[in-house]
Amino acid sequence: MSSPTRDRVLRHIDVVGQMQPALHKQTHAPAPDQIDHTLFRAYTRMPHDVGGEPDVPITWEEKEEEQWELNTFATCECLAWRGVWNAEERRRRQNVDLGQTQYLGLPYYGRWLLTAARIMVDKQYVTLTELVNKIDEVKKRHEHK
Amino acid sequence: MSTSKHDRTHHAKKATGIGDPQCFKGEAGKAKFKVGDRVRVKDLSDVFYSRTQTYPRGAVGTVTVLVYESPAPEDEAWDNTDKSEWFYSVKFRQKDLWPDYPDLYANDTLETELSERWLEKA
Repeated sequence: MSSPTRDRVLRHIDVVGQMQPALHKQTHAPAPDQIDHTLFRAYTRMPHDVGGEPDVPITWEEKEEEQWELNTFATCECLAWRGVWNAEERRRRQNVDLGQTQYLGLPYYGRWLLTAARIMVDKQYVTLTELVNKIDEVKKRHEHK
Repeated sequence: MSTSKHDRTHHAKKATGIGDPQCFKGEAGKAKFKVGDRVRVKDLSDVFYSRTQTYPRGAVGTVTVLVYESPAPEDEAWDNTDKSEWFYSVKFRQKDLWPDYPDLYANDTLETELSERWLEKA
């Protein structure tokens, strides 16, 4: 049953398996009495609240913005001008709602772009069906290039 | 598709030509604290959203500026802009925030911005 799709699916399962658990204890499907106030607070923390967290130094790299990043920024600003969201709602969605794994794992403008698509669905400007069909259409167009 | 009755351009109408947060000036009423007041940061729940960091909670600092009036991030993040409150710039001693901060740098300070709901008189 090997196929490019199956390969992709199995690779995905392997990668997400490596991403969890963030807490270095046995954590899956805990009984309610295993979650005390400290753990509840840790699990529901805001991913953008990183002040004081131990971490290793990150190398500073000067990087020009890529065209897709500029396009993403302009798209998000247009959504604000048209009243789809304000800056604070955008920040909530791209810094907190998406969860710790995506917050730390995706590029900065990747989070903007994902969030722009999400709010269009959440506020019913497009349906998820339309979005999925569009993604499929664009993917096929690129495969045939 | 259901349509929302919410006026989604209300913020743009209010802020155009004035700016944000200037468009909320005068809406917060009398400020609870003044420059020089000693304040402690409350440890409220930040479930779902806040911009108040965890690290200064419980610490005592000094108000340096009444910065502006605005709806709090907790409300504005869901487009609720009916109630504004004062935002304060508060200065803390680094030693009061980080247990291992070296005595050699005892004069170091950190200043951050907090909305009124997060502060109490120290």
